[in-house]
Amino acid sequence: MYKAVIIGGSAGSFQVITRILHSLSPDYPLPVLLCLHRLKHVRSGFVEALSIKSGIPIIEPNDKEQIKPGKAYLAPANYHMFVELGNKIALSTEDPVNHSRPSIDLSFITAAQVYREKLVGIILSGANRDGAYGLKKIKDLGGLAIVQDPNECQVRTMTEASLRMTPVDHVFTTNEIIRFLQKIKA
Amino acid sequence: MQIRYEIGIVDTRNVIKTLLDEYGLDFRDYALTSFKRRLEHIISLYALRDGEGLIAKLKNNKEFIDEFLYHIYPETSEMFRDPSFWRALRDEIIPELLKGSPTKPRIWIAAFDSGEELYSLAITLHELNLLDKVNIYCNILSEKNIVRITSGQLDPKDMEINEANYMRFNDKGKYSNYYQAEGGNIKFNVELIKDVKFVKQNSLIEENPGATKLIIFRNQAIYYNQTLTDKIIERFSNSLVPGGFLAVGVKETLNNSSLSNKFTLFNESERIYKRKSV
Repeated sequence: MYKAVIIGGSAGSFQVITRILHSLSPDYPLPVLLCLHRLKHVRSGFVEALSIKSGIPIIEPNDKEQIKPGKAYLAPANYHMFVELGNKIALSTEDPVNHSRPSIDLSFITAAQVYREKLVGIILSGANRDGAYGLKKIKDLGGLAIVQDPNECQVRTMTEASLRMTPVDHVFTTNEIIRFLQKIKA
Repeated sequence: MQIRYEIGIVDTRNVIKTLLDEYGLDFRDYALTSFKRRLEHIISLYALRDGEGLIAKLKNNKEFIDEFLYHIYPETSEMFRDPSFWRALRDEIIPELLKGSPTKPRIWIAAFDSGEELYSLAITLHELNLLDKVNIYCNILSEKNIVRITSGQLDPKDMEINEANYMRFNDKGKYSNYYQAEGGNIKFNVELIKDVKFVKQNSLIEENPGATKLIIFRNQAIYYNQTLTDKIIERFSNSLVPGGFLAVGVKETLNNSSLSNKFTLFNESERIYKRKSV
């Protein structure tokens, strides 16, 4: 039914992501794309930190890496991460969007254009508006839009911006996001 | 930058066709998503409404093509992007270049938006007192970019990042020695690049310098598909002397290339490859 899950997060999202990744089993049927705001000059350590409790392998992809089910792809520091036709990762060094590189909007838009109605987009806690437009694109192209419940977020700006821009399908707590992701099928 | 306009794939292909038909410029093997993004950027920048508007402007305004080429590559580089790469270049690669060379070793910056890479290289060499001991060769796609680079103009909005990167490269240095602030503008010391050879080319598979000891090609192949990347890497492998170095971006690999057997990985984390001897 679905081809990919894409998750965007910023301030306050690390623990949520860690819990989500922990809940996924090694035979998870979809690829999980992660665009998280991070320090641009710190290249290493982040994947390792996320990997400690993750149920699926986390890859910081090289350019043109093939996207496969059962793996999580983390946007590398100081690059935008696109989904390219042919189900590949494409990286870019173009200007920051919404002061961010990686930009959640760009990852979400490009994923929406490739996967269309077969994409699940999730916006988590964060202190800016990056991702709101991207989630709207996912919804416009027939995909499923989910926002973390702002009441549960450490910082609610990003989720509230998304809710203002898009009539989303679900507002979920972390536990509900996990239950949902465990149920959906490829 | 905000996202203001989006172009569809059909329109993107029509622009590519126009560039080929009108100017013989071949963008067919560019990575589609980022090329689309660049077209969106240009359409917004010149308030051209849509893909049709861009095509009309490309067809009826021969002077616009240089502007187009100036903007089609991302304006993004930072000075000393990935400071650890520049430290590796300074400490591991440049000393190797000068060993046993009767003539000045040639360094090729094979990139079309190379202002920041070029000045970073020149500063690195300057701090080693080796700037006059090498030849630097640089391709450029647009005249406007040659003017920008040779007059020392880099984007002032990036200066905070540039300086932070530089300090990670050399915390004993003084970045402000290399530029002057003039009004709201930044002017780099053009003395650093006075001996650089600039060549305007339409593509990287045109004529290239031979007998090169180091090619810097970081974060460029990300804008091409594998077919074009392979052609370029073949050129590079022919251009490099045996034992010469090729630096690609830290998130790029030659593993997917049919030419990968010509190289060994010399520095894995900074993705510096070395051309095999035979």
